[in-house]
Amino acid sequence: MAPTLVNAALGALLAAALLGAAFDRRSVAIVVGAAIAPDLDAVVSLVVPGATNALFHNVWIPLGLVTLLYWDVSVRERSWLRERHGAYGVRVAWVALAAFAVAGIAPELFGLAGANLLYPVHDAYYLVRGRLLFSTQEGIVQTFVAFDSEGPGILPLYSPGTTESYFVPTWVNPEPGVGTTLDAERELYLVRSGWQAVVVASAICLLAVRFIEDAFRGPREGTADDHTAGGEP
Amino acid sequence: MPSTVVHAGFALLLAAGLLADAYDRKALAVVLLIVVIPEVDTLLGPVMPGAHRTVGHNVVLPVALGALLFYDTRLRDRSAVRDRFDDWGVRVAWVGLFAHVFAHLFLDWAHLEGINMFWPIHDEFFRLEGELFLSTTEGFTQTFVEIAADPESGERSVDAGGTGTTESVHVSNPVEPDAAADTDPDEPVDRRFPIAQRGWRLYLVLVGVFVVVARRFQRDLPPEE
Repeated sequence: MAPTLVNAALGALLAAALLGAAFDRRSVAIVVGAAIAPDLDAVVSLVVPGATNALFHNVWIPLGLVTLLYWDVSVRERSWLRERHGAYGVRVAWVALAAFAVAGIAPELFGLAGANLLYPVHDAYYLVRGRLLFSTQEGIVQTFVAFDSEGPGILPLYSPGTTESYFVPTWVNPEPGVGTTLDAERELYLVRSGWQAVVVASAICLLAVRFIEDAFRGPREGTADDHTAGGEP
Repeated sequence: MPSTVVHAGFALLLAAGLLADAYDRKALAVVLLIVVIPEVDTLLGPVMPGAHRTVGHNVVLPVALGALLFYDTRLRDRSAVRDRFDDWGVRVAWVGLFAHVFAHLFLDWAHLEGINMFWPIHDEFFRLEGELFLSTTEGFTQTFVEIAADPESGERSVDAGGTGTTESVHVSNPVEPDAAADTDPDEPVDRRFPIAQRGWRLYLVLVGVFVVVARRFQRDLPPEE
């Protein structure tokens, strides 16, 4: 699975890009938290066989949360979230949800370890793997989406296997099956390749620039203190 | 190269995070232009050996431009950039520089033979490749920079991923594809313009698009009471 640090970095980049006026230390922490939340299914895999990249890495959780949030914010007459945390809360909730799906789940799907998108309704891991190019001899060549792909998947994507046949090792649970031994070899990856190092470095520098800027600009009216004053649960 | 499309996707993500009040369609267009311009060095390839990933892909140029921009906007009494383009221009210039370094140079640094980092001061291509992990058996390990000691002479050598000089390195590109050297001169050359050669590159493209589309749907937060 992609290093959680990379998920966090992508979450931070999304936070900076989308939070707008709601950008502050607290909201960034929430969004980054949402980006790394899907990786917690590795912990559950100690009890539930094959839960890694399946239990929280599917489309149902984001779809459910989007529906719930949309219903609360746009359909109901009085929104619970807006009454409690104001427009700030609504913005942070949407961005956190985007980070959960885009920075938390999607990196697994796009060619790292795979995500079990339809779990538990249909059990198969999927990977977006392939290439897209324009060749002067062959025209547009695209192999990401393949309708005749073999394997257990029902989506037109490459599928490496099911929770039975395919195991994603993590530092929490490095060996297939539930439970774990203390002497198993564990590797906690922070960065697995050059481009991931670039993403992490970009996120650190970008956040540094934004926070230093905010500090220089001085406290604006209605900063973090105002929305914390509403009281946290 | 990770294609220009991939650079553009990541640049959009970074720009959206940094532009702040200067975020508008024009600013994004400028950032995209800045991402495309360095690729012009592919056209110099036929004239100057090893020009691609050298002339437009070094850190010397952005450092020089950054210093110039700093001098113009902070040290001079009147800034040429601010006079012409207002605070918007200053913001966009800095963001463009940031996007160029992180979304273009550094991503290329991690790809194929890397970039000619310190050209024209020092002619050597560097490639960023490695892993960083904590292991229960090997402890904290990084393989980006390899430091090895020669067992006989005890000399220490540092391998930071150097791959050669403009003499020895040619980074394949559509203007001068590697394949051209191998094929029959009578056959038409297959020029391949990569768009996304790996899943993660497609991912960066899609994230950039996602962010820009999401910003379109956002409304400004009402001023807090």
